[in-house]
Amino acid sequence: MPQLGKLALAIALILAAYSIVANIYGARRHLPDFVVSARHAVWAMCAMVTIAVVVLWIALLRSDFSLEYVAAYSSTTLPRVYKITSLWGGQQGSLLFWTWLLSIFTSIAAFQNRRRNPEIAPYALAVLAGVAIFFLLMLNFVTRPFDLLATIPAEGSDLNPLLQNYWMAIHPPSLYTGYVSATVPFAFGAAALISGKLDDGWIRSTRRWAIFSWFFLTLGNMFGARWAYEVLGWGGYWAWDPVENAAFMPWLVMTAYLHSVMIQERKDMLKVWNLSLIGLAFGLTLFGTFITRSGVISSVHSFTQSGLGPYFLSFLITVTLAYTALLIFRSKQLRSPAEFESYLSREAAFLFNNLMLVGIAFAVFWGTIFPVLSEAVRGVKITVGPPFFNRVNGPLALGLVFLMGIGPLIAWRRTTTSNLIRSFAAPVAIGVATGIVAAASGLRQWYVLTAFSLAAFVLGTVLVEFRRGMNARRHMVAEPRAKALVNLVAKNNRRYGGYIIHVGAIVAFVGIVGSSFFRTEVKKSVHVGDSFTIGSYTLRFQGLDQADTPHLESATARVQVLSDDGREITVMSPAKLFFKRPQQPATKVAIRSTPASDLYVVLAGIDDDGQTATFEVFLTPLVFWLWAGGLMMVLGTVIVMWPNVRERAAIATALSRSTTDAGELADAAPGGD
Amino acid sequence: MSLVFLAAVIFVFISPELKNVSRETFAAETTTNSEVSEGLTCQCGCGLTVANCNMPTCGFSVPTRAAIDRMINQGMTRAQIIAFYRRQYGEKVLSAPTTEGFNILAWTMPFIALALGGGMMVLAVGRWHSNQPSAPADSNASAQPTTFDPELRRKLEKELEERR
Repeated sequence: MPQLGKLALAIALILAAYSIVANIYGARRHLPDFVVSARHAVWAMCAMVTIAVVVLWIALLRSDFSLEYVAAYSSTTLPRVYKITSLWGGQQGSLLFWTWLLSIFTSIAAFQNRRRNPEIAPYALAVLAGVAIFFLLMLNFVTRPFDLLATIPAEGSDLNPLLQNYWMAIHPPSLYTGYVSATVPFAFGAAALISGKLDDGWIRSTRRWAIFSWFFLTLGNMFGARWAYEVLGWGGYWAWDPVENAAFMPWLVMTAYLHSVMIQERKDMLKVWNLSLIGLAFGLTLFGTFITRSGVISSVHSFTQSGLGPYFLSFLITVTLAYTALLIFRSKQLRSPAEFESYLSREAAFLFNNLMLVGIAFAVFWGTIFPVLSEAVRGVKITVGPPFFNRVNGPLALGLVFLMGIGPLIAWRRTTTSNLIRSFAAPVAIGVATGIVAAASGLRQWYVLTAFSLAAFVLGTVLVEFRRGMNARRHMVAEPRAKALVNLVAKNNRRYGGYIIHVGAIVAFVGIVGSSFFRTEVKKSVHVGDSFTIGSYTLRFQGLDQADTPHLESATARVQVLSDDGREITVMSPAKLFFKRPQQPATKVAIRSTPASDLYVVLAGIDDDGQTATFEVFLTPLVFWLWAGGLMMVLGTVIVMWPNVRERAAIATALSRSTTDAGELADAAPGGD
Repeated sequence: MSLVFLAAVIFVFISPELKNVSRETFAAETTTNSEVSEGLTCQCGCGLTVANCNMPTCGFSVPTRAAIDRMINQGMTRAQIIAFYRRQYGEKVLSAPTTEGFNILAWTMPFIALALGGGMMVLAVGRWHSNQPSAPADSNASAQPTTFDPELRRKLEKELEERR
């Protein structure tokens, strides 16, 4: 069976190579049969990689320890769901998973473009196949998932205990989907440069792919943060770990790209900038996987460290140089007669928004690589951790939030002063009022006051936009408020879905500020029956329950939570776990979440007699809104991507009418036939 | 709707827990273990700060947090405790770069890059603004009949393409 997997990967590599040659030859010689053949080769490649994935999955489910990968990342006692997720639990498997996703997305792109974009689709598919070739070369020759062991062990080493939870089923697939799908708009951008077809056709063809990638990068980042929060036991959700940064940077750049393409669509401007952004986004996805797999920068995600670093770095440098060369080669053709009427315009607001987003991405990148740079220059190892990223990105985040409020209400081309005042009066008033109320309620830190005021300002601008839109609808079509709101969003899903995403981002921002600045912590050792307080809660240690299974031992505390008037609110069950293979301790956190704050209880230690336990307890305000904001962003993206069938039909009707009208008018014109 | 929104904002800010927490936070004037351990990087290889390393049996962060408690009880300040660990382990134990020598680049480069980018953007916008073509003069009404606007047709085709 493993031989089938090896063979499938070898055939996939050959098919990918054939697809490149056939696509380019067919495009250059205008031979559609070669292009069709290349498309079929892409689909066949996808089938081969799928076979390889299925073979590895079967081996994992059967605990076939003849395979080195299965022996390293599974065991007979591992629950079935984790046997499935261990496909991406190790180096070789995660690389195979990445390649599988790439082959699926390439196949979909090939299908979507079978009758359109004849000038650029072949080149785009060639680029996609080229990227696939790199990963297939790694899988066939460098990090092989189907290598066999000389001696078959009776039992496997098991999956890392930290990966044995349900987040393993959703976080890596989401993030990989976000990473890999960014390859499609990149490939079309590269194809536009190669073919010389530099209008915005490639952007229109890949807009949904870019949103799709952004959607899954958002999900992947949120899932990762939630996983860290629930499992790692330090009360936080983001440690500015290099691998976390590697997931955050492409998200920032893709956010900038999705905004700036709107300018190209409306005004045919910023072609070089948009091509650069999509190249940067793709490059950062490669950079991210380079960091994860190379060990160049130490990270808590060290489970995938290997000797792949030099290969990934070489590929990244090659892609970067080739793409940059193409951009320079086409730079004259990319110039457009740009019109820029005013700094007080949405175009300007979007430009500065891009500056902030790319600026934050650079700050994160710089902080991530600075330890390597420092060691290379001074020979001294240093660490760049959360204090750096928080202090640098904090002010930049405020600038970004401010611009989020400006963009929606400022007009395209030019806004007059009177329009500015009329549009922003209410949101500014809301922001200022919020700041005053916050200060009056006892908040004194300038950052918090500014952040909350700006957040309220942005929410105010979105409110104004919705109200304007609803009023316009109700003026045209007398309908109730609720119906006007639903129809407003349904008929302008791209715009108002975008506003919902903004609301989600702001809500998440408020959650981040609240949880970062106001978290309190108590560490206490107590006997059974004793209690301690944190905030308005009293926690009473009621006792310990021990359990022993073939897979792990556990000690679970019963902690009664009382309100300040002595009423029982809940009983929480933090636990200490000890996995048997590999022998590794872990913690199971207990969280009680409300919109106001989370009570987060960790069982930090137990005395031998089991009568005394040490608890670490965090009270974290507003963190609920980080997750709620994330959900809103997800909802907003779904709305943006929802196909608007009625509008499409109306446009098609208008188009067919325009053809008829133009023909009739031409016939009626003097001298016309 | 604006009033409802404002009321919601006020409600959040006067919530008892937030007020209690902010009072405790601002009342704290003594050094805390969290403040110190956030400034140190765990040396077990996890890459997290001493405050955040959650490994129950970590050979560095667990004893270090206990030692920090002892030093705080002895009256040492945050700066003194961090300096102590820096002497023991070198710069790598600090969770952020210092502001000396080459490390200044770490702190300043992002803002320099932002300023440079902003400057380039202002220049580019200024150039685009000055390149703006003047409005065309009105022309006499053509003898040709009105035909369907090709620009509108292009926009319609684009909209249709986007909704595929």
